[in-house]
Amino acid sequence: VAKLCVCDLLVAQCDVNCCCDPDCSAADFSLFTTCSVPIVTGDSRLCSQKAAIYSLDVEANPPERIFKLIDQVNPSVFCIHATNYKQALSFSPAEMPTSENFDQLLKRFGSATFSAEPDSWNMNTDAQNPSDANDTYRYEYGVPIQTVDAFLRLPSPVVSSWCSDANPAGFLVNQATKCTRSVSVEECGTIQALSMLFYVNSSILAVPRSSQMVNIQVQSIVVQSLNGMRTLLNGSDVVRLPMILDELCINIVLGVSYHITYTDAGEIIEAAAAFVLGAINKEALSIQQSFEISFTQVNTTPVPLSGNPGYVVGLPIRAGFWPQGYPFPVEILFAALVLNTNRYSQLTILQSTSNQDCLAAQGARTPVLFGYNMVSGCKLRITAAMKCQPLTQILLDLLKGQSFPEYVASFGNSQAQDVLDWVPITHLRTSEQSDNDRIYNTFQSSCQIPVALEIEVKWTKYGSLVNPQAKIVNVTATITTTTLKQLPSGRERTIPITSSVVFTDISSPAEPGYKAWPTINVKLPFDFFFPFV
Amino acid sequence: LSSVPLQILLYVNGIYYSFYFLATLAMIIYKSQVFSYPDDFLAPDLALLFVMAILEVLRLYLGSKGNLTEEEAPLGLSLVITVGSVILSVYFLVWQTYVLKADVILNAVLLVTYGLESALKVVAVAAFV
Repeated sequence: VAKLCVCDLLVAQCDVNCCCDPDCSAADFSLFTTCSVPIVTGDSRLCSQKAAIYSLDVEANPPERIFKLIDQVNPSVFCIHATNYKQALSFSPAEMPTSENFDQLLKRFGSATFSAEPDSWNMNTDAQNPSDANDTYRYEYGVPIQTVDAFLRLPSPVVSSWCSDANPAGFLVNQATKCTRSVSVEECGTIQALSMLFYVNSSILAVPRSSQMVNIQVQSIVVQSLNGMRTLLNGSDVVRLPMILDELCINIVLGVSYHITYTDAGEIIEAAAAFVLGAINKEALSIQQSFEISFTQVNTTPVPLSGNPGYVVGLPIRAGFWPQGYPFPVEILFAALVLNTNRYSQLTILQSTSNQDCLAAQGARTPVLFGYNMVSGCKLRITAAMKCQPLTQILLDLLKGQSFPEYVASFGNSQAQDVLDWVPITHLRTSEQSDNDRIYNTFQSSCQIPVALEIEVKWTKYGSLVNPQAKIVNVTATITTTTLKQLPSGRERTIPITSSVVFTDISSPAEPGYKAWPTINVKLPFDFFFPFV
Repeated sequence: LSSVPLQILLYVNGIYYSFYFLATLAMIIYKSQVFSYPDDFLAPDLALLFVMAILEVLRLYLGSKGNLTEEEAPLGLSLVITVGSVILSVYFLVWQTYVLKADVILNAVLLVTYGLESALKVVAVAAFV
């Protein structure tokens, strides 16, 4: 105890106010004000223990340190008189792993939790597992897809860009990964991850822990030559193994794309893989492999949703229009809206380009994404030679685009067949004129050209308070027109054209919903007042 | 004639031992909560405490019966069992996992009582023979 010093932090130097520091001399002690560590003892629960007491005698001149070694007595009747258990009062040092005790240490400490008493506690956990052996299993979101050996692997880069084969594919998790693998022509046939067999060999289990297997079928094979040109092979359901041909190693896997079909009960019923095979020459040291997996529910065609059901901020607004020949609302039950197959081209506005000339814009448009207010524009140069009517038409095309939709989906997952889920776009026209101009223009026939398009999308929060879904309620497209004054010939004018999208939240504040008060339902029996009724 | 001091001592021993048993059990429970007391060490301590209780009941009954009926056989048997009790008391005094000061006091008093009792029993046996 006399040698222990908690405040001695600096080696070979005197710590300030540390009375137990052996590096301090008497001159240093005379400069201290207090002792930061006045007493050093062993475990205070012992009945009698040694204690080292340090104090400063400030009365003496110069002040000096007093060191006393005494026996401290614990007066309590429950103090520890003796122990026969060696580890009772100190922290036990951990066992050093050696080759003999490594397996035992791994079994004891290798999992996520372990207890201080290792022997008797672990037996309970094994007893619980057989109880749910009779439940039916099914895949859930994120559960690794099991195959006969282990899991369906989707090699992906871990930490560095080298491929690791230990990444399992999760159910309903669409993934696309790219990673690098080291290759050489000599090891053409031996590296397993380069051959098609590695990816189609093990069959997928239809449900976890069952014996129903689904074979992975080869859907298509695309062969990529050394200069990058790809050709699709006909009649490609044969597994092609890597082999050496003319000092090249051909048929090595450069990319795999899995397509898994599942039912809504969580079973996998089909699995197909499309391969891209390539070739490497002697100088190649590594190749890049890309892997992809996608899931489709049986009997549906995959439609990319912009939210499920409420719109997700950042996803494009879904919009469409009535095909010609279907008058509204007579055949409402049979008609369906036509949507552009490219989800980003359904509702678009003008995109600003670096040269801000409207007529040279060449139709660049940007999709309207939910929740993102946008403003874009360009400058129009008007010369005297331009006529009103064609100019109006050109500007309308510029602002609205080639196929401006008529309906916008109110939910992110609205189906095209459910017409009532779609909100019609209201068109308004305003004219931007000052009062002075209005007086003059009543006497002249004037030319109104559209200069601004503002799309206002009003949306509300729908559903429960904890998980509100965005629902589009109203879409208004306002075209602002202005008068085009005739210019004297030779002069030209530049007017700005703008288009903007604004999203307004019109959700009403949430109202608490209370359960109805319980009513007391009391009815007297009908012959209660017997003699009188 | 039966020995009156022996009978008094046996009676007092009975009362004291009940107190001793409850106190030691309570202290073992206290130790198991406050200190690190693994099951390997707790089980022998508890088992020996219960064995000691059984031996003590037997011993006091035989001693009392032998003294009152003035027979040497039960007194002799009681003396033999006393040896076992003394060993157990020494265990709780010295070889227990945690020996607290209270344990020391209780066991010391118990050992003194056993010593006195053994002396009186020897005298009584000598008198009855």
